[in-house]
Amino acid sequence: MSAQSSSSTDVADAGRVPRAGKRDVWLVFWIVPAFYTAFGVIFFALARVMPPPRPDVTTDQMVHFFHAHALTIKIGFGILVLIVGGAGIANGIVAYHMKRMTVGSVMAYCYLGAMSVGALPGCLLVAFCFLTAVYRPGRDPQLLALLYDLGLLSYVGSLGCFATAYFAFAVAILYDKNEIFPKWLAYVSIWQIVTEIMAVPVFVSKAGPFAWNGSIAFWLGVVVFGFWLSCVIVFLMKATERQPVDEPPLD
Amino acid sequence: MANAEQTAADLDAAAASSVSSAARQRTLHTPGDGHMWVMVLGDLIIFGAYFIIFMVHRAMKPQEFLASEVHLNINIGVLNTLVLLASSWFIARSVQAARADDHAQARRLTYLGGLCGVAFILIKAYEWSTKIDQGYTISTNEFFMFYYMLTGVHLFHVSLGLLILSITLRELRNPRRCRLFMVEAGATYWHMVDLLWIVIFALLYVMR
Amino acid sequence: MQILAEAEDLPKTANIKTQLVSLWTAPVFGVVLLIAFLAFPGFFPPMSPDMTAEQVAKFYSDHTALIRFSMITFNLCGIMLLPFFIVIVIQMKRMATQSHVFAYCYLTAAVSGATLFALADIFYLVAAFRPDRNPELVMLLNDMAWMIFIAPVGAFVAMNLLLGAAVYFDDGPSPVFPRWVGHYAIATALAMAPAAGAAVFATGPLAWNGVVSFWLRNAAFALFVVVMFFVLRNVLHRQAVDEGVAT
Repeated sequence: MSAQSSSSTDVADAGRVPRAGKRDVWLVFWIVPAFYTAFGVIFFALARVMPPPRPDVTTDQMVHFFHAHALTIKIGFGILVLIVGGAGIANGIVAYHMKRMTVGSVMAYCYLGAMSVGALPGCLLVAFCFLTAVYRPGRDPQLLALLYDLGLLSYVGSLGCFATAYFAFAVAILYDKNEIFPKWLAYVSIWQIVTEIMAVPVFVSKAGPFAWNGSIAFWLGVVVFGFWLSCVIVFLMKATERQPVDEPPLD
Repeated sequence: MANAEQTAADLDAAAASSVSSAARQRTLHTPGDGHMWVMVLGDLIIFGAYFIIFMVHRAMKPQEFLASEVHLNINIGVLNTLVLLASSWFIARSVQAARADDHAQARRLTYLGGLCGVAFILIKAYEWSTKIDQGYTISTNEFFMFYYMLTGVHLFHVSLGLLILSITLRELRNPRRCRLFMVEAGATYWHMVDLLWIVIFALLYVMR
Repeated sequence: MQILAEAEDLPKTANIKTQLVSLWTAPVFGVVLLIAFLAFPGFFPPMSPDMTAEQVAKFYSDHTALIRFSMITFNLCGIMLLPFFIVIVIQMKRMATQSHVFAYCYLTAAVSGATLFALADIFYLVAAFRPDRNPELVMLLNDMAWMIFIAPVGAFVAMNLLLGAAVYFDDGPSPVFPRWVGHYAIATALAMAPAAGAAVFATGPLAWNGVVSFWLRNAAFALFVVVMFFVLRNVLHRQAVDEGVAT
């Protein structure tokens, strides 16, 4: 091929926005927003944990809650049990892009590890507490109340595992010279740690802004998490896009 | 004597850097870096939400909140406010010194600012321990839950600020290059921490 | 360690720095967790499995504040020990004369062990949440809390056996760890392994309040973190010097 024609091809290429990225990473990427959309539908509409039912209710009211929502809890959490691998995939691709940073792998493994820890007490325990609660009609109300408390306290109150993950994420971004993610995303992750701290009183308070359904301990946390997650998904896409197709596999 | 030497040294330094700082001043720049401003503005929004929620709950139970507020030691609150204001003054002057390329002075001032930050934490710890001794814990009532949580998360920000100031110090100690935007970003964060405290002080201690 | 000025911006410097950050989370949060451990009213002496349901319920209603303070601290700060163990993973990957299989096994074991640790404090906190709960149910939650805190040693046993094996296999000219670390890891695994008996025995040294299951297990773990902190500090320094990052 003559030099002239290849340079004209280069010019044409430079004009087009390069849609790079590796196809396997793209495949994994698209699972992330798909999973979290399903997750949102399950947690908001079906499983009735977002928003969570109130802590300041009587045992009878807890029994009534499970009775009234048994069907959607079964559908919602039943599906979650099937698709929760998506959470692992989401954590995996973040860890993958973190490994492409200049900081080496320690923070990537921390993130991967801490988020994996969080999957049990922070997500699946409430699923199985609620599924068990609605499994048999006519269970002793006191047992239902225990499952209610255990499920919701673990769901809203699993704090440190995620705080550690956000810490690893923030440190990695701040030290990274490859600019895989923007620096301000590290600060958004620090806000996430703040919301974990503000959720500490859920183990104490039964009503008001610091209860597990409270405006500060729960709702503000959801808002900040929603913002953080949206940013992460957007920047995962950008990071995947900007990855050169011929980048060698990571160590 | 020492003053005269210092003034002379300052003038020399100023003369030497007058070209560079004049050149810098000609290009207006936002102090710090955009990323830190995202942090500051976002943090202010989040805390703003906490403050609004506090006001709403205060309006729902004005008697209880007023009766509880009386038990806070306003003198300690004022002391904390003065300490943090002093630290902000030191940090602001350290940025000026850094801009004038007087890194030694900037370091000294950053140390002083950090020392005030440590003092703030110690005073706050003392205040908490006296309150707990008097029987006012996080589960006493809603006001005290706000008190401990707002001052607690603020304390977390102060600790983070001390970490950031130590990074600023390392930057100022680096002979090869001292990135001004890092010093400014650290100062921006520190001023935010001070601002947050002033609002917390006003809401929890002063508002009647 | 003095990072060289020329090496400031190199990727391998950031690698060392983030490992240092991870390493230092251990003493910082270790002190916090120690305070939480000392504050928990049920550790000195450790609560007996023999307590009746009424005694357990009374314990939770008498000491609610301290139980909550202690366990919330464990909740918030416990997993901050994970970065420390990840540094060990990274160092295992640096061992020249082996594949990385031990390192990845260590990583998954660490995660599974941390998961159970994250779960235990939740049970204590739920037990303390409603003082008017049926004492039988409070005892059920207390049983699960203790069992999940003390008995799950399998992950840590596996981690230490893997570390020991990795150190023994690392017999090239420049091993990452000194050889005694391998012996020490195996010894720690052996010291902690019997605590699995807490899941089964309700009396004696293997019960969750026993000398072996409570004191030996926790002391061995704490000592491991302390000892390995100093070991890893030296290892990181040597890595930095070898890679031309520091003096």
